[in-house]
Order: sequence, then structure tokens, then C-alpha cells
Amino acid sequence: MEFLRATSVDEALAAAGDGAAFVAGGTNLVPDVLFGRKKIARAVDISRLDELRFIEEADGKIRIGALATVTDLLDSGLIRDAASPLYESALEFAGPLVRNRASVAGNLMDASPAADLAPPLLAQDAVVELASAEGERTLPLSEFFLDYRKTAARPEELMTAVVIDPLGTADRCAYYKLQLRRAMAIAVVGVAVILRMEESVCAEAAIGMGAVAAVPYRARAAEAHLRGKEIGEAEIEAAAAAAADGARPIDDVRASAAYRRKMCGVLVRRLLKKALGMPQIAAV
Amino acid sequence: MSTYEIKFSVNGNDESLAVRGDETLLRALRRVGYVEVKLSCEGGDCGACAVLLDGVAVNACLVFAAQADGAEITTVRGIGTEDDLHPVQEQLIEKGGVQCGFCTPGIVVSAKALLDENAAPSREDIQRGLAGNLCRCTGYKKIFEAVSAAARQISEGGGS
Repeated sequence: MEFLRATSVDEALAAAGDGAAFVAGGTNLVPDVLFGRKKIARAVDISRLDELRFIEEADGKIRIGALATVTDLLDSGLIRDAASPLYESALEFAGPLVRNRASVAGNLMDASPAADLAPPLLAQDAVVELASAEGERTLPLSEFFLDYRKTAARPEELMTAVVIDPLGTADRCAYYKLQLRRAMAIAVVGVAVILRMEESVCAEAAIGMGAVAAVPYRARAAEAHLRGKEIGEAEIEAAAAAAADGARPIDDVRASAAYRRKMCGVLVRRLLKKALGMPQIAAV
Repeated sequence: MSTYEIKFSVNGNDESLAVRGDETLLRALRRVGYVEVKLSCEGGDCGACAVLLDGVAVNACLVFAAQADGAEITTVRGIGTEDDLHPVQEQLIEKGGVQCGFCTPGIVVSAKALLDENAAPSREDIQRGLAGNLCRCTGYKKIFEAVSAAARQISEGGGS
């Protein structure tokens, strides 16, 4: 395997393609290469491109540079205050040794169905910025994941940033990662919920799901039971049922498909109630 | 197979070595004698290979050696010496936080990084700070007690 350290984004883009892979934190790619799960002709090291490592607020948006680490998310007051489901997912992400290296873009480009940052970023309508020698383009994250570990990024494209709208005082949100232990665990189910309230009416609903299909996705059918409604027990039950119904989980070493599907409903119900400050068990 | 001439410093010693493009930092460090960096899962799960890379605690198995060209690396041997142990090392001995010892180099690296950031960590802070380091002997209780005691020792001026 050839190795090249890029000293600029342009140099990285010029070295892309022809079996090359970008490497930043390396937390997925390095063991994938070591154990032969990935064969790459050339690793293009972008880990020193400091111009891609930032978290900033600009024109009313939050821009997260591709090389911002998961630790950077946790160190950012902006993320904690205006992207709290993403912040919570970062708290549950692996352990500190991995968080210190793993980049936001790497978690998305790796395209694991269980990518921890994907459900909250999907729920927050993230848009990804992709660059290649031909130019730049943007894509909603909901159109980025195509199939199991397959993304819309072309082999020569580099993700340079992820952009989200900051959450405001009208937004109610909640996040949960169901996992077999509280650290270093791959999600059994990951769910992020964001509700934009206008008085007592839910103007917008967004539910990001992870680890329950070939790709992380938005539970659109569940959202439709909430949008434009005054949310009570009936709406929550309908959304929870739709979320379970829409999941396409698999059996694996962590959980059965049936358990995952059931947990989709349980978690969506629980998180909607948590977000809205409703008691988890209805008063009798 | 292409090789690359790289340089980095380990515990203040300048090292020059030729590495393959796909060689991990863990394997390169062990190859030139830094065997205190333990080789175990090689997948980022166990933390036995933790080192400070430019001051940041990372798993050496998850870094290509060539990515560390020009870096300053600190292993457990750069954190204290036998004559002048770091409080974390002193307290791991004092509290019985070492059994087989295989995870200890990584535990010391993670604990030092934690205490450098947070001088008075709560029990949960310590648990979270060591969440990437597996120990299969001690059940962690004595390790957590040792890190807690090390924090107190540092705050009372008993070493760095």
C-alpha cells in the first residue's frame, strides 16, 4: 500500500481515485487494511489538514469540518447547546482513545448502518459537502447512504464539511443508543428525535434511526403521524408502531431482528415522551 | 512494497525508521523496541496500546506509522521512571490496581490524559475516562480507586 501525506486539500484531491482511500483518524480504515477487509492501493493521509478541522457558526448554520473529531464535538459549547442529540451521541461513541481520533466525516463515509453520529445528523437535516478535483457539491445526508456501506460519494470525492441548522428554543429533542455496555459498543439501535413545536402543535418532526436497516435513515412514516398534530398518546403510539414497521433489521451477534424491531417502537415512544416532557407511563 | 523513511520522537528519543505504508504505529513502535506498548486486539477495542500522540491519548493500533511522521510520542515509560513514578503509577501499586499487568501501560496513559484535563474527576469521570481500556483481572474497582487517589496526591502537591 502506497502512503501519501497530503499537505493541502488540493493535493489530497489530486491523489484521489485509482484505488486510493482517504485516511483521517484511521479508526475504521487502519484495522480494515490490517485484517484484509479493505484492499487499497494508496492511503491519502488527510489527518494533518487543519483547515478541515473546525466547528463554526456562520450564516445561521453550524458547519462542522470533516476532520472535527468526536472529542471536538464534546468540547464544543455550540454542539452541546444547538445540536444536543449529536452531543449525546458523541458521549456514547466508543471510548476516549477512539473519540480523540475518529472524525465526523469518517463516521459518515465509513457508512456503517450503526454509525453513531448518523441518526442525530439525519434528524437535524444535515447536508454534506463533497469536493473533488472537478469541483464541489452538496447533498442532504438523507440521500447520502445508498445501501449497506455504499454512499453517494464517488471514489475520488472527499467529504469536507457537514452543515446543520442549529436547534432553537422551539425544538424538543431526545437521543438514545441501545447498547450492550456503556462504552466501546456497537449500537443495537440508535434513535434521535427532534420536534419543532408551535404552541401545542408539532410543526416539524424528524426521527433518525440507526442499526436497524442496511443504512441509517429517517423514519418518515413515523414522522407523518406527528407533523401538524397536537401530540398525545394516540399520535405517539401510531408513530412508534410506524417506526417498528418501517425497520428492516437483521439478526446478528448483538441482537435478533425481532428484538431490534420491537425496540424501534419502544425507543421512539420513550424518546417522544421524553422530548415532550410527558410521563413515561400514563396516569391511570 | 514501498517503504517510507519517517522520524518521530518517543519519550524524548529521536527515532528514524523505515516503515511500510500499511504498518501500524503499534507494530512500528514494538519493532524498534518500545514493547511496553502492548499488542492485543489491534482493532481499537482494548486500549492496551494507548500512547500519547502529540499529547493526545490514542490507540497506536489505529494509526498508520507514517501518519505519525514528525510526531512526539509518549509511552508509559515516558510518563514516570522507576525512581520517580507518576502518581497514577504509584497509586496503582498502592491500591493493588495491577494484577497481570498487561493492560497497565494503557491504563496509565489514559489516566494521565484524564488527570491532565480534569484535576478532580468524579467516579463517573474516571469510569468514562478509562472506558476504552479493558482489564480482565481486577474488575476495575482498584484501578478507579488508584486514579482517584492519584488525583488527590497531585492536588496535594505530591508530584506531577
